[in-house]
Amino acid sequence: MISFQLSEQQKQIKEMTHWFAANEIRPIAMEADRLGKVPDEWLDKVNKMGIHLNTSSFSGGGGEESSRKSKKEREGNRMGVLATEQMAWGCPAITLSLPGAGLGGPPVQSSGTPEQKERFLSIFTKEKPRWGAYALTEPEAGSDASGVKTTATKVDGGYILNGQKIFITNGGRASWVVAFATVDSTLGRAGQRAFVVEKGTPGFSCTKLVKKMGLRANETAELLFEDCFVPDENLLGGEKLYEASSNKPSGFQVAMKTFDSTRPIVASMAIGIARAAYEYTLDLVRQEYPKGGETSALAAEMLAEVEQNIAAARLLTWEAAWKADFGLPNAKEAAMCKAYAGQMSLDVCSKCMELLGPIGLDGHLVEKLFRDVKIFDIFEGTNQIQHLVVARRQYAAYEVRV
Amino acid sequence: MISFRSTEEELAFVEVAKNLAKEKIRPQARICERNQKLNEEIVQEVQELGFLSLELSEDWDGLELPLISQVQILQGLCYGDLDVVQGLPGAGDAASFIRFLNQRLDTYKTDIVDELQTVSYLDLSEDWGTNIEVKKEMNHYILNGMSQPVKLAAQADYVLIAVMDSNGEPILFWLDSSVHPWHVEEGDYRLGLLTSGIARFTFDHVKISTDAILAQGNTAEKIIQDGRTRVRILQAAREVGLMEAALDYATEYTASRKAFGQEIAKFQGVSFRIAKMAIETRIVNHLVWEAALQADQEHPEAEGLSLRALHRAHKSLRYVTDSAVQLLGGHGYIQEFPVEKWMRDAQAQVTLYGRERQCLKKRGEQIIAGNREEVMA
Repeated sequence: MISFQLSEQQKQIKEMTHWFAANEIRPIAMEADRLGKVPDEWLDKVNKMGIHLNTSSFSGGGGEESSRKSKKEREGNRMGVLATEQMAWGCPAITLSLPGAGLGGPPVQSSGTPEQKERFLSIFTKEKPRWGAYALTEPEAGSDASGVKTTATKVDGGYILNGQKIFITNGGRASWVVAFATVDSTLGRAGQRAFVVEKGTPGFSCTKLVKKMGLRANETAELLFEDCFVPDENLLGGEKLYEASSNKPSGFQVAMKTFDSTRPIVASMAIGIARAAYEYTLDLVRQEYPKGGETSALAAEMLAEVEQNIAAARLLTWEAAWKADFGLPNAKEAAMCKAYAGQMSLDVCSKCMELLGPIGLDGHLVEKLFRDVKIFDIFEGTNQIQHLVVARRQYAAYEVRV
Repeated sequence: MISFRSTEEELAFVEVAKNLAKEKIRPQARICERNQKLNEEIVQEVQELGFLSLELSEDWDGLELPLISQVQILQGLCYGDLDVVQGLPGAGDAASFIRFLNQRLDTYKTDIVDELQTVSYLDLSEDWGTNIEVKKEMNHYILNGMSQPVKLAAQADYVLIAVMDSNGEPILFWLDSSVHPWHVEEGDYRLGLLTSGIARFTFDHVKISTDAILAQGNTAEKIIQDGRTRVRILQAAREVGLMEAALDYATEYTASRKAFGQEIAKFQGVSFRIAKMAIETRIVNHLVWEAALQADQEHPEAEGLSLRALHRAHKSLRYVTDSAVQLLGGHGYIQEFPVEKWMRDAQAQVTLYGRERQCLKKRGEQIIAGNREEVMA
């Protein structure tokens, strides 16, 4: 039955994460942006509270538990998008800096061997904040992820990695990074492999933390692999995964499959940012704007449009998450919600800036949200890539590859 | 629990509706438009399937389906052709008001449900383009003036009028052509929805006795508000059906049409527009569903969500139908292909059913006044 009402569990996670966002995240959002980092003591505190960012679902730690929920209807993806919307409403930069497996979680969860899942996902404990990361993008391979140049040369007992990765969220502080490399560039996608590279591995280093337009409190790293030896047991899924699908571009599939679960999460974060800007502006309009007249009518129309667009993005995102929970193919819906939410949220922030007028430039949250939100139309696949994915699915029935 | 899964019953209804749309409605659409008259066979089949009484109550032999089911069925039917569906006889948009006034209108049940006599709904809230005056005199009202063009006026046997009288009191009138004669202005309609009987009513000092008042005061206000909400949702759903038709048609066409040695779908200017059409169509679908669900729950936010859904439906319908014509190029502009008709029908539809900016403004005023849904609720 079609329903947009939240289950009790969904309501609980929404309320809990909103409480956390309002009381713990939002109060430090502007200061973290100014500092260009999230205070270590705050990270330590929230880690002890068991608050983690796990992009396949939001949880109090580890994805194991949720994956064991067998016969009962799975709702991890829906819970994930509900929770991340609230957290990003607090501050997206702080949300992305929360301890946990982050974007590295889904590939380990979906493609890792049981031993790898245990090894890499069990480290996220209350004892100390730890992070995972996802390293796909390279200087010459952004949207075209199949053009990865980082090499993985087979040697006794493992692989030697050489190459560079850029724009890696939490890449410098991560305990491990899921890195994509090619064993033979002539094989194209089929030559790709995913490795879990642990911090401290000789030859693996963080060479730079970049400064950005927004999301300034969140770390974005450049990583270097110089003759970096990675043991066989860190090949994600093990050799068997690639043997079993020797005719398929398996490493590439690991990378792409991740997107089907992370794109709704990223979309929901963009929605949270847009909602934060909208609510902030609505409060200001209610309190400060003159009642009636041209300005008020203009504000009414703009706010109605903003609210509508946020709702539209949310429903697209819920559909993608709902499909994922049922194990239904959701690449099209995931791309739709990411494409729409990414662009919509920037537009919302821009409209809110317009409604705030020049005073919005002076220490107001919406200005920060505007800077933060732009990247949501770029990372996890640009808006153009999302349109390409949607179009491919649309034309699939006619066997035309666009 | 958030779910996008239709019930088995809904899926069965939609399958029937869509098959009828593809096999009967769409092939007859051009002929109906040319004749400005519906094909009797289609009317009969739609009636037999119960699709003319989706909104009517069981007392009126209707299916009395929840809105969430109705919107899916209407989407399916309008996948065939919006104009044909808009031209269907019977209760039309007035069904959304009749359902609250069953007993009061019981004597008309057979005429409307079985004989398919037609009711036109005339909402006199519009502040421009109409000069109808409703004046109270002693124990009757005098109705005088000419209406804006409305759907089903040309073939109407009855008119349901929602109006504020000269004292500002909301009233619902029921006019019977045999008792309250009116004149239908022929007009010169060329744009679209030509099968749906668009025309203006002229009332020449028509005397209306209190017998013709279905409701007034607070009761009328509530029925008018709820009825308008339902009409907006059901009309927006029809627009989704047309959008889906235009999207599928344009997708199929661009997948086979070749230029510069390849299918034009392979040019991103084309495929990205298809993607955007697909996204917009899905968005309107969801906004309509959400409004329907809230109306079914009689949630106070349903009115606001209906304004939101209709605004987006109008805006997106114009975009999607225009895109379909654009993607077919010159072929899109000529009548050998359906998309030029769909674009014309779309523009007529959004012109008839509420101005976009008014929907937005009203919704925005509700939001600022605090009548929005609690985002956190």
